Amino acid sequence: MSEYSELNQKGCKPDEHKIHRRLFLQGMMGAGASSMFSWNGLFSLPEIAAQAKKEQKHCILLWLCGAPSQFETWDPKPDSIYSGPFRSIPTKIPGVHFSELMPNCASIADKLAVVRSMKTKPSEHFQAIDMLQRGAEPRVPFVRPTIGAVLGQQLGQLDSKIPNFVLLDPCPEGNEYKSFKAGNWAGWLGAQYGPVRAGGEYKLADVNRVADMSTQDFEQREGLRKFLTKKYQNDRNSAAAASENAIFSRVKGLMSCADLFDIDKVAPKDKEKYGPGTFGMHTLIARNLVENGAPFVMVSNGMPWDCHVFQHEIYQMLVPEVDRIIFHLINDLEERGLLDKTLVVMMGEFGRTPWLNPSRGRDHYPDAWSLSMAGCGIKRGVVVGATDADGVDVVEKPFNEKNLFATIYTALGLDPYAEYEDPELAIFHRVEENAEPIREILK
Amino acid sequence: MSSTEPIFRLPADLNVKLIHARDINLPTAALALDTHSGGKRLYAGCMDRCVYEVDLATGAKTLIGKHESYVSGVRYLPALRQVVTAGYDGTIKWFDAANHKEILKVDAHKFWSWKMRVSPDQKYVGTVTGQYMAGGIKYEPAAEREPSVKVYEAESGKLKWSFPHIPPTQSVAFSPDSKHIAAGNLMGEVRIWNLETGRQVATFTTPDFTCWGIIKSHLYIGGIFDMTFSPDGKDLLVCGMGPMVDPMAGNGKQTWQRFAWTENPLKMVSQIRVGDAGAGLMETINFHPDSNAFIMAGKLAQGKWNTALFDAANGQMVHSVDAKMRVTDSVWLGGGAQLALSGATGQGKKSDGKYPEFGHIKLYDVKPQA
Repeated sequence: MSEYSELNQKGCKPDEHKIHRRLFLQGMMGAGASSMFSWNGLFSLPEIAAQAKKEQKHCILLWLCGAPSQFETWDPKPDSIYSGPFRSIPTKIPGVHFSELMPNCASIADKLAVVRSMKTKPSEHFQAIDMLQRGAEPRVPFVRPTIGAVLGQQLGQLDSKIPNFVLLDPCPEGNEYKSFKAGNWAGWLGAQYGPVRAGGEYKLADVNRVADMSTQDFEQREGLRKFLTKKYQNDRNSAAAASENAIFSRVKGLMSCADLFDIDKVAPKDKEKYGPGTFGMHTLIARNLVENGAPFVMVSNGMPWDCHVFQHEIYQMLVPEVDRIIFHLINDLEERGLLDKTLVVMMGEFGRTPWLNPSRGRDHYPDAWSLSMAGCGIKRGVVVGATDADGVDVVEKPFNEKNLFATIYTALGLDPYAEYEDPELAIFHRVEENAEPIREILK
Repeated sequence: MSSTEPIFRLPADLNVKLIHARDINLPTAALALDTHSGGKRLYAGCMDRCVYEVDLATGAKTLIGKHESYVSGVRYLPALRQVVTAGYDGTIKWFDAANHKEILKVDAHKFWSWKMRVSPDQKYVGTVTGQYMAGGIKYEPAAEREPSVKVYEAESGKLKWSFPHIPPTQSVAFSPDSKHIAAGNLMGEVRIWNLETGRQVATFTTPDFTCWGIIKSHLYIGGIFDMTFSPDGKDLLVCGMGPMVDPMAGNGKQTWQRFAWTENPLKMVSQIRVGDAGAGLMETINFHPDSNAFIMAGKLAQGKWNTALFDAANGQMVHSVDAKMRVTDSVWLGGGAQLALSGATGQGKKSDGKYPEFGHIKLYDVKPQA
């Protein structure tokens, strides 16, 4: 049972949060402290947040953007006319088969939890990416923070030298994903909770101190900058200046951890395991960042899974790569004693159609798709939900994005129903509608 | 084509049309096609793992054998009266054409047989394989883990040669004199071997069929999807699709190129004209039996045609049609009087308890233009 579940069973109800929060706000505003409020004023159970930070939990999201096919990964249908050319293979879980392209994951299926019954609504990339990154549909004009921003805020520290939210993405392009990447990741939490992006060249750009500047000189300049910005922030009541200060603090931190982003500093045997492709290399960096304290790291590589053409010709390479990466990541985290503290989520924004189009590709399909998770708060060797014989629809335990986000938060020991509150307008929760987590996969 | 029929001569000016004659439907996509000598029957290898014999007069289909995955190659062996097939299960199978009994099965590859061809003298069966695995930081293909090209004796199924290539090796062709075999891969590299000595006698790489994706994904896609020697054996024609910025778009230029592979230095002698090409992957290239023209066919992504007849002498497109399907293979019937195309439309959802048929054989008559 998660810490949140235990607390919830003691009688803590969402409505009580609401009342307490309003009273609290009224009191503070009456004291003339309104400038302190922003969307980052999350009303959560402090004992839970403190506990999560104390235990320093982590999350790695392998974001398989473009939307991977469930048939060629976690939910093969070898007897269906829609199966495609790849066969299925048995796994460590009796009676459960994965695609033959995933022999390594099959061998560690007893460490994974697979959800075969995701059922969501958006069928276009941008809307689906947005929903699966934020956990709810848009509600204009408010911008809900992404999972990375929330977990970075909840599990990390603003003064941490390691960024709280790292997005590793070697392919800067990606059509709709590119558009999403250009948007607001942190939403109402504020810019300081947005991602530090790296990738491509593996090294963080522009974080090295100018060569002819001494440490003393650098510290003096930084102190002056900090003083002046803080004064400006206080005098003008400026949230922007506050964000600026936070960003400068992060850059200063990045200077000290830039090596963690440098693939040249990684042991060759690790590179051999995860590489040679960029997605594997970046997953390796993610492992190293988590090992050094990063609370949330997201790894993506453009949107290669969007195979409207050449489905099988591209998947013959992509799936074995991700199969090997997942295998090494899970085993490495376990060997380092980090798996129980690190939630690993492997998913895209929806699935692919059972039927092939004329270009022998599979198109977008949110009606019935799969994802997998492992690690912190997650049961081992579990498959939940089912699709019909052709994989056309979910026939057992449908779950949507809200169920998924409730699962992620619960697994990490966070209150999934905690409120965000705009002092002037709406009330939002981390997970709306009190959506249930996927209890079958939670410890 | 495996036929001793009299050749249907094309007019000297190649002023002919492809006239759609009829369609025969198959349960699933047909990936490979050949004809029985005499042209009364066709053989189709399909995505449903089945090999069908199709009666041309009635359209009746008879299941003659199965693989454990897609059937990617089918050829009739007139001298042996057998049908040889290859599949994504990596096997080659021989079936008796009369009673449909499986005679022989060879485990040729650990991965797919992408393409299978039989030498004109019917002595050899050539098959190519290879899984695209990331071999470098930019997803360059990794080195092969098994021989990419294999040549078997058609009569015994005994392995004659194993040749190395960079996987995935997607296309294969025999020279008209059956003395050489060529194979092309994802990266546009072609290797040619002498079948008597086993020596590699030529290699070249064309960059015009492969792309490294900039938009969406950093990986390689494309390659040479089919090839054929010219009737005199001096040239090798290859087909596929030109590079794309977005490898998922399938909208590279419909492309063929012709190489004088015996010349030193080896050179490209012609290629599809800019104004002739639309966009889409071309999967079959095939000389007309009278040698003066060849067809190329595949997928129409943008433009007006996906099946076109080209003048073999100057490369000019002389006629084109849109077959309204993805074309996967082609065979000339009646000595070249008719063209049969195999392929597929979209698979479609189950309706009224039935799966819609999405495999097709389309027949085109070759007629002089008015």
